[in-house]
Amino acid sequence: MSDAAPRPNENMGEPFPRIDARLKVTGQAPYPADAPIANLAYGTFAVSSIARGKINAIDIEPAKAVPGVLAVFTHREMAGQLEHPKFGNAAASSIAPLDTTDILHDGQPLALVIAETFEASQEAAQAIRVDYAAEQPSATFDAQGTETVAAKEASEQFEEDVAAGDFEAAFAAAPVTIDQRYSTPTQHHNPIELFSTTAVWDGDGLTVHEPSQNVTGWKVELAHQLRMEPEKVRIVSRYIGGAFGSKGPMTSRTAIVAWAAKKVGRPVRCVVSREQSCMTQTYRAETRHHIRMGADRDGRITAFAHEGWEVTSRPDPYVVGGTSTTGRMYDYGSVLTKVSIVKADRNTPGYMRSPPETPYVYALENAMDEMAVALNMDPVEFRRVNDTQVEPIGKKPFSSRSLMTCYDQAAEAFGWKERNAAVGSMRDGDWLIGMGCATAIYPTNVAPCTVRLRLNADGGLRLQCGSHEIGTGVRTIAAQMASERLGIPMDKIEVEMGDSSLPPAPVSGGSVSTASVCSAVIKGCASIRGKLFSAVVSADGPLKGAEPATLDMKDGAITSSDGRSMPMKEAFVAMKTGVIEDYAEFAPDGATPEAVSKLYGGQSEMKGGEKGEKVKYAFGAEFVEVRINTRTREVRVPRIVGAFAAGRIMNTRTARSQLMGGMIWGISSALHEVTEIDPRAARYVNRDLQDYLVPVNADIRDLQVILVPEVDMDVNPAGVKGLGELGNVGTAAAIASAVYHATGKRIRDLPIRLETLLT
Amino acid sequence: MSSNPASPPNGVSRRGFLSGSATLAVATPFVAHAAEQAAPGAAAKDPHAKVAVSFNINGKPYQLGLDARTSLLDALRDHAGLTGTKKGCDHGQCGACSVLVDGRRVLSCMSFAVMQEGAEITTIEGLASTDGALHPMQQAFVDHDAFQCGYCTPGQIMSAVGCVQEGHAENDDDIREYMSGNLCRCAAYPNIVAAIRQARDDMKEG
Ligand code: FES
Ligand code: FES
Repeated sequence: MSDAAPRPNENMGEPFPRIDARLKVTGQAPYPADAPIANLAYGTFAVSSIARGKINAIDIEPAKAVPGVLAVFTHREMAGQLEHPKFGNAAASSIAPLDTTDILHDGQPLALVIAETFEASQEAAQAIRVDYAAEQPSATFDAQGTETVAAKEASEQFEEDVAAGDFEAAFAAAPVTIDQRYSTPTQHHNPIELFSTTAVWDGDGLTVHEPSQNVTGWKVELAHQLRMEPEKVRIVSRYIGGAFGSKGPMTSRTAIVAWAAKKVGRPVRCVVSREQSCMTQTYRAETRHHIRMGADRDGRITAFAHEGWEVTSRPDPYVVGGTSTTGRMYDYGSVLTKVSIVKADRNTPGYMRSPPETPYVYALENAMDEMAVALNMDPVEFRRVNDTQVEPIGKKPFSSRSLMTCYDQAAEAFGWKERNAAVGSMRDGDWLIGMGCATAIYPTNVAPCTVRLRLNADGGLRLQCGSHEIGTGVRTIAAQMASERLGIPMDKIEVEMGDSSLPPAPVSGGSVSTASVCSAVIKGCASIRGKLFSAVVSADGPLKGAEPATLDMKDGAITSSDGRSMPMKEAFVAMKTGVIEDYAEFAPDGATPEAVSKLYGGQSEMKGGEKGEKVKYAFGAEFVEVRINTRTREVRVPRIVGAFAAGRIMNTRTARSQLMGGMIWGISSALHEVTEIDPRAARYVNRDLQDYLVPVNADIRDLQVILVPEVDMDVNPAGVKGLGELGNVGTAAAIASAVYHATGKRIRDLPIRLETLLT
Repeated sequence: MSSNPASPPNGVSRRGFLSGSATLAVATPFVAHAAEQAAPGAAAKDPHAKVAVSFNINGKPYQLGLDARTSLLDALRDHAGLTGTKKGCDHGQCGACSVLVDGRRVLSCMSFAVMQEGAEITTIEGLASTDGALHPMQQAFVDHDAFQCGYCTPGQIMSAVGCVQEGHAENDDDIREYMSGNLCRCAAYPNIVAAIRQARDDMKEG
């Protein structure tokens, strides 16, 4: 078997190749901007070049004079035409550009040009002249004019600053303490697919082709903004060219393009340039952290305080608040946390792969390594001493926690015992060698989900679910689950996803998709099985009189535990039917009675994580080797090993790929990624893929993913913990630890670049 | 507008070309929409005038009337209806738009379509054989799960075919280096290397 297809261990599914693989390697997978639309017009936005102030005047005449231009829309045409977006649900921001002369961030859309060709729309957008009344913007932390607010006062999304025991007393009494500050930078998702909207009207009905992680939520939100009935709006997003959170919330662009398409009476496609996408989409905001930790001499943590600050826009209290996770990570004697948001003249940030955990766990795990050094303990043993099966805040048990198994398996595969713990002791010619490790953690979420199944007598199955194939393999996994439950081969299963006209599924965020979709598929299959089983036990035939509980579906037949069986085709005859169709609604334990109707209304009620009787998290451990050139200080990562336990693994191939991608994202966070901000202009500087660094093929060498068997039926009926956001948590801290081990330099501000190591 | 007739690089006069083809697509699989018809008498000096260009894509002849600023990428996607080639940046920074032009890998966003007069262009749609059998590189990408979202994949595969043909895939270090112009944000890199290693050997045998 190739590395890509690990042999399934206990509680793991087969590494089926993706069912859409052929479409993807032949260029036939239809991404939204590929949709062939007749009579298409092209849209390009003109955006603000100041971050704060007002539009005095906007001259669109030069744009209108460009041959091929059909229309130019500004606030003059559009004010009052659209309902304002509702931040906090499916909308990325409450900012409603083209409704106002106010400018709230650099890159705010100011005009939309519609033209016969892409080239003409671009030329015209560049010809628009704007006269601004500019004010001095506040770009980020420390800038004059920012406003700092406690998260729990500003945001409904943020529930509480978790705490336990008397931190101050415990910290004061601790014999070993650390008191340090850490920071993480602004990052942009930069999926390789450009953002795009294609709006097509048919009478009073609207179809929008746009990459989306939340087609049902967008349908409802877009209908709200356009003052339409949701039933008249359809979002189509069958294939998504990478998302990472960027396509979760809908931006203001979608409704504006749809409105313009109606106005010009033509379908309109707007593909946003890479540069504009950095300003108009969401991003991971920069964060700061203050960690204080106290421990006794044998390594037990007695006091842990984590205070975090996050940047957001002026109007929207976006917050990730990762203290909910860091405060529950280890068996701390006492916990004190606080999260604040800092409002600046910026566009509203948004979810980016493991939104809370990436920055907050980075700070915690870097601090854990510092404490291990202060205690003169092995960092793995330090975690073992503080490992726990009961979280310290609510004293609730973890539904499962295989953290130390992950550490032990990864340490073994990595060869951790070969490490000489002394700083700067390992070297290979011109290269200093450092080794480090850190914990990965991500809350296990699940949300209501619906699915429609249509099984025919030949064993052909059509599975419909409004979830989203963002690269996770969810189409394949849904088919695998149905194949297993109904005993039909994979090649007889057709899966439709990515369309708001399908039964709704939750937003593909928070790593909910596999758990939620599979739970709904299980429920739908159970209903089909029930119908078939009750028919075959009462009809004449080999299974007459059998106890339904003893029946199963395998290899195209209904089988009984006593060895009797009947082909599925005959069971259909017994039922006197040709096709069985089932629509199933799944709602997780503890969901409100309205959970499914809320799903139809575009809202995903997520359950899991710290909510419920038991707390639910997936864990992992990552080990890295770094090599740092003694002359140039270039940092390389020749080796990385991660071991992860995430309940049932549906498909070892897609699971490994996601975790691998996550680990590389972690390397990227540590060494590559940062969106630079011009503090005078509150403007992103590196708005392209040349200057926004992400790893290329040559940056990645040996990478090993270990899937650790774990069974946890408390999390959801599928026993699945999401893992798409697990792999990139902790990696940056492991690299920072390894850099310290190699050089003795503790880097607390990401990313770690050679200039940071030169002094 | 002046009435200077433009001469396409292949020597066929624009005027003659236009008068001979109402749709600009005679005997090609492509159906132009009205907007692409070059206006009779359109002039070389008018920067917005359509320019005629003809080349082969995947062995089939195409004749297009294009804005001179149209990139080869947009010509493929918006005018020839071949959307397998992807746009990830439009600035030559990501590799998603990689195609083969006369056997060499080219970033199609960085080339004007009108520069490709007479060229043989191969895109992802032209790689599998007509009976549907996948090219060894495509099969290797499936076998090694060398993608997740699949968006960079057409560019990766075209670039990988070029990489093998150039002889830059003889070892893993070379593969990594010579494939570093193709970004994969899903970060399937180790699987891409494994896939190219397999396809390199299959291509040699085949
Ligand atoms: S689209 Fe051509 S290199 Fe990115
Ligand atoms: S597979 Fe998603 S960018 Fe490469």
